[in-house]
Amino acid sequence: MEIRFTLNGKPTAVDVPPDITLLRLLRDYLDMTGTKCGCEIGECGACSVILDGEVVNSCLVLAPQVEGRRVVTIEGIRGPDGGPNDLQEAFIEAGAIQCGFCTPGMVVAATVLLRKHGYPTREQIIEGISGNLCRCTGYQQIVEAIQMTVLRRGGLPEKEEHA
Amino acid sequence: MSELKSLGKPTRRVDALEKVLGTGRYTHDLKIPGMLVAKVLRSPVPHAEIVKLDVTPALKVPGVVAAITSEDFVDHGNWGFPVKDDYMLAYKKVRYVGDPIAAVAAETEEAAEAGLQAIVLELKELPAVFDVHEALKPDAPILHEELAKAQAEETTSGELEDAEFIEVHGKGNLSETLIVRQGDPLSKLSECDVVLDAAYSVAHQEHAYLETEAALAVPTADGGVTVFVGDQNPFITLSNLVMTLGMPGKVRVVQSPHTGGAFGGKSDMVYETAAQAAMLAIKSGRPVKLVTSREESMIASYKRDAMEMRYRLGATKDGRLRAAKIECWADSGAYASMTPFTSWRATIHAMGPYHYEDCHVDMMCVYTNNGYSGAFRGFGNTEVTAASEQAIDELAEMCGMDPMDFRLKNCVELGDTLPFGQKLEYSVGLKQCLERVRKISDWDRKRAEYSRQPAHQEIRRGIGVASFFHGLSLGAEGLDFAEHTIRLGEGNKFEILTGLSDFGQGSRTVFSLIASEVLGFPVERFQWLPCDTDVVQECGPTVASRSTILGGNATRLAAMRLLTQLYDAAAMMMGCMVPEVRQEGEVFYGPAGQRVTLDELIAYARANHIPLSAKARWEMPRIHWSFAKGRGVPYVAYHFGAQVAEVEVDRRTGVTKVLNIYAVHDVGKVVFPQGIRGQIIGGISQGLGYALMERVEFEKGYIQNPNFDTYLIPTAADMPVVTVEFVESELPFGPFGAKNVAEPSMVPTAPAILNAIYHATGRRIRHLPANLERVLLGYDLKDTVTTTVCQVGVCERAKCEL
Repeated sequence: MEIRFTLNGKPTAVDVPPDITLLRLLRDYLDMTGTKCGCEIGECGACSVILDGEVVNSCLVLAPQVEGRRVVTIEGIRGPDGGPNDLQEAFIEAGAIQCGFCTPGMVVAATVLLRKHGYPTREQIIEGISGNLCRCTGYQQIVEAIQMTVLRRGGLPEKEEHA
Repeated sequence: MSELKSLGKPTRRVDALEKVLGTGRYTHDLKIPGMLVAKVLRSPVPHAEIVKLDVTPALKVPGVVAAITSEDFVDHGNWGFPVKDDYMLAYKKVRYVGDPIAAVAAETEEAAEAGLQAIVLELKELPAVFDVHEALKPDAPILHEELAKAQAEETTSGELEDAEFIEVHGKGNLSETLIVRQGDPLSKLSECDVVLDAAYSVAHQEHAYLETEAALAVPTADGGVTVFVGDQNPFITLSNLVMTLGMPGKVRVVQSPHTGGAFGGKSDMVYETAAQAAMLAIKSGRPVKLVTSREESMIASYKRDAMEMRYRLGATKDGRLRAAKIECWADSGAYASMTPFTSWRATIHAMGPYHYEDCHVDMMCVYTNNGYSGAFRGFGNTEVTAASEQAIDELAEMCGMDPMDFRLKNCVELGDTLPFGQKLEYSVGLKQCLERVRKISDWDRKRAEYSRQPAHQEIRRGIGVASFFHGLSLGAEGLDFAEHTIRLGEGNKFEILTGLSDFGQGSRTVFSLIASEVLGFPVERFQWLPCDTDVVQECGPTVASRSTILGGNATRLAAMRLLTQLYDAAAMMMGCMVPEVRQEGEVFYGPAGQRVTLDELIAYARANHIPLSAKARWEMPRIHWSFAKGRGVPYVAYHFGAQVAEVEVDRRTGVTKVLNIYAVHDVGKVVFPQGIRGQIIGGISQGLGYALMERVEFEKGYIQNPNFDTYLIPTAADMPVVTVEFVESELPFGPFGAKNVAEPSMVPTAPAILNAIYHATGRRIRHLPANLERVLLGYDLKDTVTTTVCQVGVCERAKCEL
């Protein structure tokens, strides 16, 4: 069946079987491989995309469900010059990236987190990325990258809570 | 040493940009025209004889192009190192749930699935064994009869020259015995004022790399095959392919640009995946891609071995360690894989970095039908340290001593001798690590404060410490070398060619920094390339935290040679003598005010056919360990470290929240600050999972938790605030003094947390993980009830004659 939707701001039409997921549609039919496949049961978050402004696991969304809707993938998250945006820069600078397999999903989750909260607290950041598994980093440098972005966007430095 | 320009300075990871943009390609992402999809038929039972296996019906399924079994491989695809006991596809028998039996390649995933369904498979189930002690009984079912028979002949021939203490070769399901021997600890224990005798155990742990195993095999014009993989050593993949496909000179292994994590897990299972895809590509004449699903990966891949340990430690009443008698049983599972080596490393580290008068360690590697075990970060040391550092705490308490004081009193220092006869000659920063972590964790105040919590208090805090050592690189396991080339490439960048893989740990950046330091050019002047066996030199496996030392030294030497070439060219270009050439960064000066930029020099070299390419090989100093005597020099030097964990336990629910971890590690020299900090914190997250939640649940050989909904790994919400510091006791032959870090980072985390839980609750949990029940009740519900075996995942359809 043909599915029409907006992908990274561009009207897109693709002919796919009706029983595939959005993840398969992106990776297998559009060769947009920035969205990763980690578990296919909605647990790891590597396949996170933005659907009408909300983070979703694209492995849990059936392709026909995106008909007429807006999807943003990692390929649609860029700075004004087409390079990394400030959040992505912060990921590099803070050491938030190791193997990089969770990174697109993390950037997607953090993008929505920052859009929703503006200046999220450390707790909100942790909650916002807790649906995304990372086996390499231990998360601390990812949290720091997001905090760095918050600061640079004008948020106030949050008082660190040490026990 | 003169001031360093690049090392230890804030630097970005050289391969980060394409990862953060999502444009970097992993094996999962590779796609080429005409590509077929492969799927593997796996054993639905833990132990069985293959009575009938016929793949021809699969070939009649529309869309199926090729189907293979062990018959298609040379010598049935028999492989394995150090024990050749495995097959690329099962031959005659299956030994664990998930053992690969046959594979098909088809136009679509659906056709491949239908092809698997069509395969005729008859299995005659055999009695299986799931417990290491049961497996060692004389009437236990034997997993590897032929191997056991060969071993029996070998040991009766009496030719073991070195076997004056013990027969190291196995019998029956005992694949290997590894030992450490000094003195007579049992008699010494009877003389000790204080003696601990306690049993500990650790569970199987899943690597949980986010990218599952995958391979893309492409037939080549000469009838050979090129295989794209993400593995830990393309040359081992290559040699296994050559051995089992039988086409020397026609196989090439190329690593995908990026690999989604490994942690020790991208070896054996990836070799098999590569061989299966390659054989299907050869049979079909088409490119074949094989990607495992998460469930398939978790069921079929090897784990960190489960281990049972009995510790008998003795000390004087004023807290001086005297004797250790340690016995361990490692669950090797169905195949040896790396277990003989992980177990060897475990024996060396089992007593911890302390003085003993007498010490014996005995480690039995035992075959069972519980999946199979292999390499995982820490490689045996993570397992034994989880026990030994708890035992040390228990002994300290029996002596009435603070755990930190007890460790400081007994820890080894430079010039001391380890309890297997090795004198510590280099880089021993353990005491400094302990002293520093004591300070930054505010140990003394917190320890005293938490010790005063009233008995009725339900939410309780505790603080615990663990210290450890970890031998550098492969040690006496085998020849230990790396050979790198730095050569001029596109865009006047210098390419660093290595056979060592970077699956996230940051070795590409480490090598770039070292080259930058030696040559004086900015890091951006260097370019990394993925390993390709047609291009790079063999460097040994990317394991044992060896990249920085081995690859770092090879890079350093290659860079020094390249610098010589550049000076030669500069002298020629400027018409002066080499000693007259002066360099400042990317500019070279002559004696008469001549000035040449690096780009000008490169242009001159190109025009005059002067090669700018240098290779260098670096080898670890050779050492010897006697496996039969249990003495010698296992590793040339060691990483040392200590971690303190601070926890809050809710005694009403069993919930343990780790509040803080303070980590101080003696790494010799910090090369890549962002990377090394990432290694430590990442290792700690895996250690936290090991301590509190991770356990592959084998129920009569069937894994009960084959995906992330049931096998839980730490999320951002589980992580404490981690404070990391380094001690830099430079290693004379490390690159700029650097040692190892990747594996050691996780080794002390679990026992530090376990010791903190004990401090909080007074309840000692000797069996990992310290899940809710164990913290709340003191025992695991799983041990007290019979659960129904749920046959998850693997090919429920298989036509078994059970």
